[in-house]
Amino acid sequence: MTISEPQKRISKQALTVWKIAAGLHSLVVWILAGGLIAITIIFDFPIWIIGAALAVAAVYSYIFIILLPALRWKRWRYEVREQEIELQYGVFIIKRTLIPMIRVQHVDTQQGPLLRKYRLSTVTVSTAATIHEIPALDMEEAENLRISISRLARVADEDV
Amino acid sequence: MSEPKRLHPIAAVVNALRQLKEMIIPFLIFVVFGSRGTDWDLFYFFGSIGVVVLVLVYGVLSWYRFTYRIEQGELRIEYGLIVRKKRYIPFDRIQSVDLSEGILQRLFGLVKVKVETAGSGGMGLQDGEAILTAITKQDAQEIHDYLVSIKKSGQIQQGEEEPETSDDLLYKISVPELLMLATTSGGVGVVISAVLAFVFQFEEFIPYEQIFDGVEHFVQNGVVFISVVVFLGFLLAWMIALFGTMLKYANFTVRKVDNDLVITRGLLEKRQFTIPLNRIQAVRISENLIRQPLGYASAYLESAGGSALDQESSKVLILPIVKKRKIPGLLEPHLTEYHFRVNISPAPRRAYSRYLLKGWLFALPIIIAAIWFLKPWGFVTLLLLPVSAIWSYMNYKDAGWSLDQGMLTFRYRNIVKNTVYMKKNKVQSFSMKESFFQRKKNLATVEAIVKSGHGGAGGKVIDLEKKHVDMIYEWYSHETAE
Repeated sequence: MTISEPQKRISKQALTVWKIAAGLHSLVVWILAGGLIAITIIFDFPIWIIGAALAVAAVYSYIFIILLPALRWKRWRYEVREQEIELQYGVFIIKRTLIPMIRVQHVDTQQGPLLRKYRLSTVTVSTAATIHEIPALDMEEAENLRISISRLARVADEDV
Repeated sequence: MSEPKRLHPIAAVVNALRQLKEMIIPFLIFVVFGSRGTDWDLFYFFGSIGVVVLVLVYGVLSWYRFTYRIEQGELRIEYGLIVRKKRYIPFDRIQSVDLSEGILQRLFGLVKVKVETAGSGGMGLQDGEAILTAITKQDAQEIHDYLVSIKKSGQIQQGEEEPETSDDLLYKISVPELLMLATTSGGVGVVISAVLAFVFQFEEFIPYEQIFDGVEHFVQNGVVFISVVVFLGFLLAWMIALFGTMLKYANFTVRKVDNDLVITRGLLEKRQFTIPLNRIQAVRISENLIRQPLGYASAYLESAGGSALDQESSKVLILPIVKKRKIPGLLEPHLTEYHFRVNISPAPRRAYSRYLLKGWLFALPIIIAAIWFLKPWGFVTLLLLPVSAIWSYMNYKDAGWSLDQGMLTFRYRNIVKNTVYMKKNKVQSFSMKESFFQRKKNLATVEAIVKSGHGGAGGKVIDLEKKHVDMIYEWYSHETAE
């Protein structure tokens, strides 16, 4: 017996944004590798260090720019129903979370410069004890979601 | 009592003293390191006096500015020296009321009242609570009565007539239980580490090298002496912890007054917590390593009140130490929504290998490092393997869950064995997780979070049967279950 997955996917653009972000931080690795290579050449260290540095940087870039964002995007699903929100995400560990509507305290949307460029927003759902995030939705979709969740959450205003 | 009232003047003293206590370490550094026979001696002397005077004046002024009143079903507090602040707390939002009497308060027959709401986090630490540092007992009683009357009127509106206030004794600690509590508490560790921290703090002042030079020959042929000293140290620490716990938990009493649980305790400093029953988020039964084999356990209530700093009021100890089998009998008549005799389904047998592996993965780096760096003796750490295996077995044995009558129960062990009882409608969010390896074995992890203080608490059980996890997931889902 398996429970059916949540239906909706996050924006395809998220992939691009994640790749750019990952590209930015693998730049740091490349700079470090470059530094190491420079030192190796200056001080005449064994040649294999250059190869190793290049290999590490390349593998790092591949994993974080190509592999992980794709897997992550493929896994990310969500569904907002009348009475609950369901999320599914994770690369190696798949996590599925249920948040009942009556527990939702507030919903936020937010976007950084990168997300804004691609007209995306992050939706954050807060309960009294936890915070959940849908990382990248089209701006309009996020806006609609925020409005509809807060409307659904208002129906049952139960005490903590 | 709608006219604004001030706290008893002693509150100014209490506040100033607290402020001074917080300043004591920077102050000591200032005085000790600042002046060493320089021309600045006088400056430091007057500076210190100036600081103390400032704190006192500040205490008095903020006491003067602090007023409270009860109006329109709200506790209204106005305070603040430079920025005027107002905090209005509706009575029907109150999570718990905490009365305590410190030594200063006791001298004047006063109490400290702390009122807590579920207040959302952020915006500073004292968010969602109000503290009346010192008010007379009559005033506290008035506030309490007002609170009760508000609740009553609320009930009447709902068409229920409450005839009179009920007052049941739920639990009172007995002397043997108090002794048991004190001897098996973790307080010893706290005391030892406090002493150690203290000793290392003053490393610079105490001429250890000189002392140890003299002691060196003692050490070399006096292992016995050292052992005795260490033993006496531990004994002393244990006694201090014992005494501290006894003072704190003496007269521990739980009563049920109407729909509130009222917990009183303490000999030197008296404390009283009031928790409305419908504010309880979950019930947790904990058995630590010493108490478990003796058949003793403690019970806690998770409550939504409490600030980030004060863990004590979000995890309220309700039964400090009782025989575990007595707990259902004690709690069930009063916490009618909960039932504690549940059938726990364990984790499947094939999960044990994963528990074992996890334990070893944790132990292995330590073993390798020890063997590498401490050549002959490092091999002793190999003993960690069987120890970790036993530990993993205990963790595996204790993992379990149960579902019945709208209640979810998780059992798991960190160091202490915990059993958490949660009502479905109090669970804030629920997750299940599967890693790649878990999926291969058809296992999954479940996690439920309830509100506790400013954050969450709850339970997580690792490696349960996947189909059971799916079942719990569906039970929690509001779409399929209802």
